[in-house]
Amino acid sequence: MRRFHSIGGYVSASCVALALGGLLAGAANANDRLVEMAKNPENYVMPGLDYTADNYSEMDQINTGNVKDLRVAWTFSTGLLNGHEGTPLVVDGVMYVNSSFPNNVYALDLKNPGKIKWQYKPKQDPAARAVACCDLVNRGLAYWPTDDKGKTPNLILSNQLDGHVVALNADTGEMYWKVENSDIKVGSTLTVAPYVVKDMVIVGSSGAELGVRGYATAYNVKTGEQVWRRYATGPDAEIGIGDDFNKDNPQYGQKGLGLATWEGDAWKIGGGTNWGWYAYDPSLDLIYYGSGNPSPWNETMRPGDNKWTMTIMARNADDGMLKWGYQKTPHDEWDYAGVNVMMLSDQNIDGKDLKLVTHPDRNGIIYTLNRVNGDLVRADFLDDTVNVWTHVDMKTGIPVRNPEYGTRMDHKGKDICPSAMGYHDQAHDSYDPERGLFYLAINHICMDWEPFMLPYRAGQFFVGATLSMYPGPKGDRANYLGLGQVKAYSAPEGKYKWSVMERFAAWGGTLATKGGVMFYPTLDGYLKARNSDTGELLWKFKMPSGGIGYPMTYEHDGTQYVAVYYGVGGWPGVGLVFDLQDPTAGLGAVGAFRNLQNWTQQGGGLLVFSLDGKGPYSEDVNLDEYSTEIITDGT
Amino acid sequence: MKKTLRITGAALAGAVALAMTAGSALAYDGTNCKAPGNCWEPKPGYPEKVAGSKYDPKHDPKELAKQGDSIKEMEARNAKRSAHFKETGKWVYDVSKL
Repeated sequence: MRRFHSIGGYVSASCVALALGGLLAGAANANDRLVEMAKNPENYVMPGLDYTADNYSEMDQINTGNVKDLRVAWTFSTGLLNGHEGTPLVVDGVMYVNSSFPNNVYALDLKNPGKIKWQYKPKQDPAARAVACCDLVNRGLAYWPTDDKGKTPNLILSNQLDGHVVALNADTGEMYWKVENSDIKVGSTLTVAPYVVKDMVIVGSSGAELGVRGYATAYNVKTGEQVWRRYATGPDAEIGIGDDFNKDNPQYGQKGLGLATWEGDAWKIGGGTNWGWYAYDPSLDLIYYGSGNPSPWNETMRPGDNKWTMTIMARNADDGMLKWGYQKTPHDEWDYAGVNVMMLSDQNIDGKDLKLVTHPDRNGIIYTLNRVNGDLVRADFLDDTVNVWTHVDMKTGIPVRNPEYGTRMDHKGKDICPSAMGYHDQAHDSYDPERGLFYLAINHICMDWEPFMLPYRAGQFFVGATLSMYPGPKGDRANYLGLGQVKAYSAPEGKYKWSVMERFAAWGGTLATKGGVMFYPTLDGYLKARNSDTGELLWKFKMPSGGIGYPMTYEHDGTQYVAVYYGVGGWPGVGLVFDLQDPTAGLGAVGAFRNLQNWTQQGGGLLVFSLDGKGPYSEDVNLDEYSTEIITDGT
Repeated sequence: MKKTLRITGAALAGAVALAMTAGSALAYDGTNCKAPGNCWEPKPGYPEKVAGSKYDPKHDPKELAKQGDSIKEMEARNAKRSAHFKETGKWVYDVSKL
């Protein structure tokens, strides 16, 4: 396998020196500085580690030979229950922790993490909880390094469930600005992590289960001013479609389709919210993300391809205009919300060196496209049990449907694979550029689906389907176990180097490391480490609760740490979290995960591991003591 | 670009051979496109347009307008906040105090 370096994925002493030099000089613009900061293993500055979003670390202190010696170094409880998604950030010796609703933010000094440096506890309208489709989760924070010698402070950006976006002074935790991005009165919330590109923060949207028309917004981090806002449906100007959109792939569709592929004004409540992950290529100045499912779930109520929901979007960072867009699931009939992770890599495929974006979708297909122009390069099933499609026509990009597994009014579709939870959901996966492998956290869940008619009322749920979900063909359908898989995928070969079944869906995501160990948490409450080459299970640790975030790693004082949130929840946890029994409740997730409660209960916090548990307190037992003087009675 | 194959009544018999070569025009499989990026077809027995059919969603235009109105209002409030911030260097969230 020929090796290509990912952007910012290569560390050398000179790079680190350059990064520090750049910071001191304050010369480079913010995105250049984030690129440089991401190369320093002491930092973890953005979701997915760097702009490739490959969640791959060049560190190898922890490796296949010693991972068995990984132990807890220290822990932190957020004081909240519900699902804990995402992963913390580490910048300049400080860790920033996000939580479930009400979206507290904590800053911990890595020299002495026992003392909370600052905390931000927003007051939110509790009514926000009633319009969250799938638990009160939040996928993380973003960081903006100051570029004007402190005129604007270093900022932590945080999205709140109630629709606010806040910028916090990273040094003090004081609110710097706060804007309204989404309105819970119309069912619109925020669970997505913000994303910093240049001097902008990109914010997505949630609420397709309440008929929310999706949009992404860029704000100026210095002023809170809106720079651009682009929608998923409707008129071209609002979507960001200009003359050169899809010019290299006109067969994907070009102008007018945000209206023409809908009947009447249905696009106004058409979904397409983006609550997943982003990636960015500074050399192309393109931001990559996927738009979500159309509304409602009842397909019969919205004839048409429903563009541009379910679309891999490549947007120009400065104005949000779409360079290209590829709709993966035309006229969705299964809630395959197309928001999943985007991972950038440079690989040789079919004899060509290509800049790629790879995306494991809810619809059971892992896509690899040329990220420059949107050419479709690979479209492989995540598992051979996918049955809604026969294949993807690589020339047209059209997924060929198997009509037997479609959904429609007055019909109950059965044994549809994947289920609405997808064969992959919000997991943030990883890509190892040395091995050329993507480590995928996969679901193995199928379903029965029957739609029903319902009116749209702003602020109310607008779903219109009843679902039963259960393990896929390779799981244990009698006992409702075997709902997940973890796989190592090669895009050039279009094949899986190894696969392993998991008891429950692998919901959180993966971390790949140069040490040849890949990590992921499980819903039943383990953090696991496998051999990146073989899939062999090398180590695991029983956490207080199931994990739905993704692991991260950083170095501090010469020691490599691996950190992960615990706190089960999210869509698979709704039965456990809200104490639901009806198997069709929780949009069908309650039945599928009926056994989750036998392995885990709720929690909320962070575990930090290192070899032999080495950490600030193992090195100095007197650290953070109120007093070290022992008073004796003199006898 | 494939031509749309629509099979109705008398055309049905003649269309069968075509339909076979086209894949499965008898059921919506996504491959028969009216235009690039516009490949939806009604399923057998379902209408091309739902307006006036038993599946008419009968959306209330007032409800459909609510999200757009809400976003306009939020944008206007945010613009006031950031303008004040640029002017004074102080962020005031409560627009009634601006």
